[in-house]
Amino acid sequence: MTPSNASRLAELDTLRALFVRAVRASFAYKPALLLSMLSAGFAYLIPMLVWRHIYAARQQAQPISAQALFPYLLIAGCLNFAFAMNVEARIGQRIRLGLIATDLLRPVDFQLAQLAQALSDGLFNLLLVLPILALAFAFWGPAALPHGGAALAAFALSVLLSFVILFAVSFIFVQASFVTYSGYGVFVARNALQQTFSGLSAPLVLFPPGLRAVSEWLPFRHTIHTPAAIYLGWLSGAAVLRALAEQALWAGGLLMLGRYLLKRALLRFEIQGG
Amino acid sequence: MPITLKAEALAKTYKRKLRKPGLGAAFRGLFSSEEEAVHAVSELSFALERGERVGLIGENGAGKSTTLKMLTGILVPTSGKLEVLGLDPFRQRRQLAAQIGVVFGQRPQLLWDIPVQETLSLLRTMYRIPKSVFDVTYAQAVERLELGPLLPVAVRKLSLGQRMRCDLAASLLHAPKIAFLDEPTIGLDVSVKEQVREYIRDMQARFETTLLLTTHDLKDITETCDRLLLLDRGKLLFDGSMKEFERRFATKRRIVLELERPVSDAVSKELAKEMLELGAELQECRGHRAVVVYERDGAAPLLTQRLLSRLPVSDIVLEKADIDSMVAGIYRRSAGHAESKVA
Repeated sequence: MTPSNASRLAELDTLRALFVRAVRASFAYKPALLLSMLSAGFAYLIPMLVWRHIYAARQQAQPISAQALFPYLLIAGCLNFAFAMNVEARIGQRIRLGLIATDLLRPVDFQLAQLAQALSDGLFNLLLVLPILALAFAFWGPAALPHGGAALAAFALSVLLSFVILFAVSFIFVQASFVTYSGYGVFVARNALQQTFSGLSAPLVLFPPGLRAVSEWLPFRHTIHTPAAIYLGWLSGAAVLRALAEQALWAGGLLMLGRYLLKRALLRFEIQGG
Repeated sequence: MPITLKAEALAKTYKRKLRKPGLGAAFRGLFSSEEEAVHAVSELSFALERGERVGLIGENGAGKSTTLKMLTGILVPTSGKLEVLGLDPFRQRRQLAAQIGVVFGQRPQLLWDIPVQETLSLLRTMYRIPKSVFDVTYAQAVERLELGPLLPVAVRKLSLGQRMRCDLAASLLHAPKIAFLDEPTIGLDVSVKEQVREYIRDMQARFETTLLLTTHDLKDITETCDRLLLLDRGKLLFDGSMKEFERRFATKRRIVLELERPVSDAVSKELAKEMLELGAELQECRGHRAVVVYERDGAAPLLTQRLLSRLPVSDIVLEKADIDSMVAGIYRRSAGHAESKVA
């Protein structure tokens, strides 16, 4: 064997060793990996069911016009963008590296401190979304505008509640990171559920009846579908108030559940690193 | 002095996953895994009085950080009783956090992306530090730790030494009743270490802070603490004053001689025999240097007299064993004892 071939083989051996270590590092967080695999499958299966249902219903009267659908999808997309708060990634990373110790040593409520951080992420994202909204108004005109001043005020409140709901859901999911020591699998799982049942890809009215019924029992529809429906005037009067009340109940309940789960998680949590 | 911290039969046992090497083992590990119990801390009992300055030392894995995590309330003990400032650290973590200061030398406490000044200002709000206290602690930190030029700099731009100084300032800004400092001088150069020790001493004296400090640099202990806790494999091996520690473990002393000229082997052998008769050992006699080690109290005058009469001495130094060699000796003896038990 020539020296250059030996050198190439040695390099290949190094690369192989690096690959093996990288795989081992990924597999070190077994529950997170399994959770990611399940979630990924779920995330691709559900949209397929939705679109199959829409195409099957093409010959019948459409429950929603294209004129109404596109502003909805725009608002839904903007809300989804603004709600990217990275709760799981941020807390998961701190748990994995043991940095969570410094957060827990502050004389401040851990959950509310995380909410404050998430709100700042949301505000930042909202600013990024504004130019897209401005373009949409220019393109669609009145169809993309809120359905009156009251609808705008109710929409603002609904967005705030949506944000708290999504944070609270993320915070509940992140409790799993105290067991899995990784935020990624938890994020993928929560994201798959939220993107599917929130009405991000299509209004819930287009969902197959079974999936629509499931979404009615979950909080996710209140993160995108409810504020978008208020904005576009699909809900009005008492229906708006009822939707806001439901959102507030979900927000409060989920925050409480998150607090309870955190207490339980900390009982068995071991801070990584010396 | 009132008791500020009391630990009784404190214990922490972890479960640790055992991972076998190789890719196949990684795949198999998805379906089954082995675990072992690690007794990080066992039957640990001690109490601290208000204003005490205590060093907690031990080898890597002795249980120092685990102990600090339990004392600060971020880790629940497996068993035992624990009370810090009258509170249960785990169940009343937030109330306790307001009254203690913690430095984990290997974990940055400041917000990574914003200037140091912003974090200090945030901490002032978070800990509700009264102006009268903040004016003192802030000024002290800036002056003693030379933080002035660092205040407008984002934490991620600081060197390790600069960050450690800022971390320490942040942890003592609210004049805590107890300061838990876990390796506060790790990775620092000699001059910064000295600066950090001086600041800790000053702040401790000014606010009568109870200090519990862990370190591998034993100079941190000798220069800031009066009492020592020595942990070994999670158990308390020694608890007492620095003087008591020296009395018990600093048994060996040395006489180091500088010689005008080398001596012959015959003289050296004769001297070695003579030293043995006097209960000492001629450890070295080569070239222009000779070293005698002895243990008996009060033996120095006779040994010195004999050495001066036998050797052409140009200089003489009497040395006590330093704390590093004492502690190293204890660890060696303890490891030997553990091995002989296993055997």
